[in-house]
Amino acid sequence: MGRTIVVTAGKGGVGKTTITANLGASLSKLGNKVVVVDMDIGLRNLDVVMGLENRVVYNIMDISDGKCKINQALVRDKHSPGLFLLPASQIHTKDDINIDKIVDIISTIESSFDYVLLDSPAGIEKGFESAAAPAKEALIIVTPDVSSVRDADRVIGILENRGILAIALIVNRYDYGLVRRKKMLNTDSIVDILGLDLIGMIPEDKMIIESNNRGELLANYANGSIANKAFENISRRIEGEDIPFLNFKPQGKGFFGLFRREE
Amino acid sequence: MSVSRIGSTSSIAEERLKIILVQDRSMLPPTKFEHVKEDVIDTIGNYFEINKADILLIIQRESKKTALEAIVPILSVKRKIR
Repeated sequence: MGRTIVVTAGKGGVGKTTITANLGASLSKLGNKVVVVDMDIGLRNLDVVMGLENRVVYNIMDISDGKCKINQALVRDKHSPGLFLLPASQIHTKDDINIDKIVDIISTIESSFDYVLLDSPAGIEKGFESAAAPAKEALIIVTPDVSSVRDADRVIGILENRGILAIALIVNRYDYGLVRRKKMLNTDSIVDILGLDLIGMIPEDKMIIESNNRGELLANYANGSIANKAFENISRRIEGEDIPFLNFKPQGKGFFGLFRREE
Repeated sequence: MSVSRIGSTSSIAEERLKIILVQDRSMLPPTKFEHVKEDVIDTIGNYFEINKADILLIIQRESKKTALEAIVPILSVKRKIR
């Protein structure tokens, strides 16, 4: 029986889709069978981030409408054999979602996979509700800014009211230099304010833009990058390992934003 | 911490966030607020004779403080507590 985790934030554009895809890849590299589910009905993006846009035949709404079986909609990743994508529809809207059917579909998938990662859309409306409904755990993504943390706080409250209590925090687009110069919120403040356990920090990394351009995931395309190291660590923490957090201090002359881990 | 507060915009962000969240978290959806109101009325009604229609219950938000304010006109004090 797999673990079903919703990746959400409230705020848009903080990295939910990129993180869902890359975490899916890292978890599958650890030997897990993983499905990443695009719950942004009407605005699908997970396929694009994974470079699978030409391989989408059926989507989750087709399953819900009875037009296909679950297996027919799952797209295998280009590189990782244990990683699958369940795409969103590009023609429906959130109003078309039948939440009970979604819960049933995910519940069926859960039984044959180790992890189901639900990529939630932004907001707190029906799209978010349908992504959260099947989940037992949640990963909250924040960027170190006032708006993102405020929105996350509201989402955490909603999730707790729904009985999802296993909630962990990822701080994305962390900039060591700005934090050190006290020009960016530091992680300790965010953890304090939100009252969540931190499961990882992902630094600003230009390799993310490049791999996104190419439709590749860091685990395959830029596996030495600092952001990928962060994804690897987060996956291992999700699996229960106790990994110390990366030190993002630049080694020598940090140029082009390339940070190395301090040994 | 030796960094001058003027240059430390992250501290400003942190302070603003804390204030914003106190306000956000104290905002209850209408149904919950009705429950708070009823509970307050019931409890006070155990000790004082009150006119429920005259009760005022509001959440006051100023820039740095949030408070629940209840104005309860008392008609008389009950001899026996229910």
